[in-house]
Amino acid sequence: MAEASDRAREEFFSEAQEIIEGLGRDLLALDEALRANKIDPDLINDVFRAVHTLKGLAGLFGANRMATLSHELEELLDNLRLGRIEITASVLDVLFRSVELYGRILQNEKDGRDVPMPEVDDLLRTLHQGAAQVTPQSAVGQYELDPVLLSVLTEYEEHRLRTNIQSGLTLFRLRVQFQLATIDQALDDLKVNAKPFGEIITYLPTGAGADADSIELDILMASRAPLDELRRALIDTGAEVEEIPRRSPSPPGGALPSSVPSSSRSVPVPARGTDAGQILAPPSSVPAGKQRDLGSIRSVAQTVRVDIHKLDRLMNIVGELALVRSSLGDIVERLRATPSERENSSKLRELQRTFHRHLEQMQKGILEVRMVPLGQVFERLARVVRQISRDADKLVNLVITGAETEVDKLIVEELSDPLMHMIRNAIDHGTETRGEREAVGKPAVGTIALNAFQKGNHVVIEIQDDGRGIDADKLLDVAQRRGILTPEEARGMSYRDALTLIFLPGVTTKLDVSEISGRGVGMDVVKTNIGKLGGVIDVSSEPGIGTKMTVTLPITLAIISALLVRVADRFFAIPLANVQEAVALDEETVRKIDGRDMITLRSSTLQLCYLARLFGLDEEEELSARIAGLLGGARSAGGVRSGATGGRRLEGRQTLGLSGLGKRKYIVVAAVGAKRLGLVVSELIGQRDVVIKALGRSLASVRGFAGATELGENRIALVVDAPALISEILEGGDRARPAEPKGAPHG
Amino acid sequence: MANLTRRPPKGKGVMRRNVRAAASGPRTEYLAFVLAGETYAAPVSLIREIVNPPPLTPVPRAPSVTMGIVSVRGQLVTVMDLRRRMRLQESGGTRRTRILLIESMSGELIGLYVDEVQQVYRLAETEIEHATAALGGDVAGYIAGIARPQGSVAFGDTVGGQAPVIILLDLHAILGS
Repeated sequence: MAEASDRAREEFFSEAQEIIEGLGRDLLALDEALRANKIDPDLINDVFRAVHTLKGLAGLFGANRMATLSHELEELLDNLRLGRIEITASVLDVLFRSVELYGRILQNEKDGRDVPMPEVDDLLRTLHQGAAQVTPQSAVGQYELDPVLLSVLTEYEEHRLRTNIQSGLTLFRLRVQFQLATIDQALDDLKVNAKPFGEIITYLPTGAGADADSIELDILMASRAPLDELRRALIDTGAEVEEIPRRSPSPPGGALPSSVPSSSRSVPVPARGTDAGQILAPPSSVPAGKQRDLGSIRSVAQTVRVDIHKLDRLMNIVGELALVRSSLGDIVERLRATPSERENSSKLRELQRTFHRHLEQMQKGILEVRMVPLGQVFERLARVVRQISRDADKLVNLVITGAETEVDKLIVEELSDPLMHMIRNAIDHGTETRGEREAVGKPAVGTIALNAFQKGNHVVIEIQDDGRGIDADKLLDVAQRRGILTPEEARGMSYRDALTLIFLPGVTTKLDVSEISGRGVGMDVVKTNIGKLGGVIDVSSEPGIGTKMTVTLPITLAIISALLVRVADRFFAIPLANVQEAVALDEETVRKIDGRDMITLRSSTLQLCYLARLFGLDEEEELSARIAGLLGGARSAGGVRSGATGGRRLEGRQTLGLSGLGKRKYIVVAAVGAKRLGLVVSELIGQRDVVIKALGRSLASVRGFAGATELGENRIALVVDAPALISEILEGGDRARPAEPKGAPHG
Repeated sequence: MANLTRRPPKGKGVMRRNVRAAASGPRTEYLAFVLAGETYAAPVSLIREIVNPPPLTPVPRAPSVTMGIVSVRGQLVTVMDLRRRMRLQESGGTRRTRILLIESMSGELIGLYVDEVQQVYRLAETEIEHATAALGGDVAGYIAGIARPQGSVAFGDTVGGQAPVIILLDLHAILGS
């Protein structure tokens, strides 16, 4: 019972999530339509229906907060739908905000948290007030009033505006230049002059002015007098008088300028029309809704929602089967060696091959199921861009390419936050203000490009802005102040190297307090999160031209091709995705530069990392002796008869052929982005497809391993986390050594 | 996999020969095992399984009490050296060496490496001395108490007939640290 209701709840969450995502898409379309001034009523209907469905769902599952929000939104949308209120950018803001809040409410519901959500209450209040203004707005809506102006009206001013319109007065806009020194007096004079003809409702600075000492005001005035009369009366004040045009498709009975009071009484009509509209609406909207529902039922029949963890489990089973397969192979080989079993063994071998083939297909199939297009996360980013650019008052155009690129679902989920932070940085810190842009001859609207494409076993995501670029000097300055760099080091740093400072904790270009947006999360966090996904991030920037962040990610985390290597007496798997090439190491060519081992490979310098040394496998210390002893046991056909005492250790070492350690070694060139590191191993074993299993939580703090994989017969190889090693060795080495003696003065 | 010693659930099978019920009050089952020659025990209810040690893969740079990881029927298990945790002398594996599988509080499957598994004791509260303060040192926090069972042997060999001293471990404290 409980399980059934749990499952129903799961369904509820995923369905609600889907609807909310759809809602977001519709709103984006609506936003675009609004800007193009071509609003499709169907879009509003879609939004309305989505909210309506959510309301029903929420009611069903006792998600009260969601139900209340949906209810209020429904009111608003109903008014929009019936044309009772105008759709404006600020209305859209409210709608976008509710999509965001829906997401948060859903998360809280899912976590079973019942926490206060003041932001929801705020929105509800806004919506409620909005609803109260429905009737008045419908009257005001006759006029083409600037929404900016409407949004700043005080309650009283709004009330006056309403009353005046209802009384049949006509609205005029007066544009007047005032000298700042005398504005009080002049404004009073104007009011006195205007008084006989009507009422001044509000005034707003236009932001323009002939010079620094003057200010231009837009004055909203309601007047009984016709335009000419008003103009004549105000000629001395220097005011430009214009009648505010009414919207052409005015509501039925909407007052013509000359209309007599009786027609203005028709203003409440739309309100009464509400009832009529609602009575009329069902016949038209319900069948449409029904058709849509039928459509979605069909589509549901073809798609199934699957919990990603179920896929993980399937993947594990496939991994197990792969182990069975290899054990089976061993048996087959043994049988083949027995002449009497030849016939059976060849049949068995045939079967085993078929098994192998099907298993591979199954593995591929499961992987495909896990793949989702990046578009899912990009859509959410488009909403974020809209919000941030409005908040920051910057014009930004988001250009998305490659939204169809597919990535493992788990990666997509984990990507959204890092991408959001990067986009936010691109707008907040990269893109200049409109004024700055125009001053340097750039188009007023900034462009942020979000590109995704597949590159071998990787997916590359680029976030590129055409903003001011990163000021490397600032970065160097901050890094020095934080004690990360010495002045000498800073001087010796190339522009490219300096840019990578941005990924260090506490380093930012936001130098001045005023520049801190208060929201920016450090790029170090972004980098860490990308790193957890097995990806890397790279930055390139050109002052004045723009900045490009490049994120390179593996396509899937579940199964990977890996290069199996031996280091000292152990096996390790290095994800092939990170392997550029493998070459024999000629010890003669290794040079020590600044304490690091370097070689020249294909005429570029490569830093080496001796894995045996890094993992403490060469050391003659007690620990490694113990390990060697245990491993000796581990390798002796699954037994545990190993000894770790002195004498047996030696024996273990000999049987393991460790005496041959001095032999030729190999370099596996691991590359992540533009960074390369030569991992020195004892032997190259070969390529394997491996299922990576995460290490237990108690080993979470151990760096350098992405997990472990089974090699069959219960043997395990650790999977080397190449990106982590690369950053540890290359960057950690850069910083850690010189920083040590200084003692990190600023913590 | 055939050599894995699987414990029947609830220890019913193990408890074939019943106890001479003597003391009053409820009794708790403890599994006794040997660490460096001493007898230790932990509540049976916390121990999911006893396995023969599969090949152990050490994890470089892991905390020192971590011996490595093993695979038990496809699941990765982090193996902890109880002797090292208890600051005891370590010796190599023997044919009696076992790994006790415990689920930690965080849901992770942890293996505890022990020298030998002895038997199950059903201990009454009266047989347990909770005064751990008597045992000094930094391992005191890992000890839940001392038990002197009154010859209530459930199965296996009796140790010379005399009541052994059993150190009861606080597994949650051990795994939590």
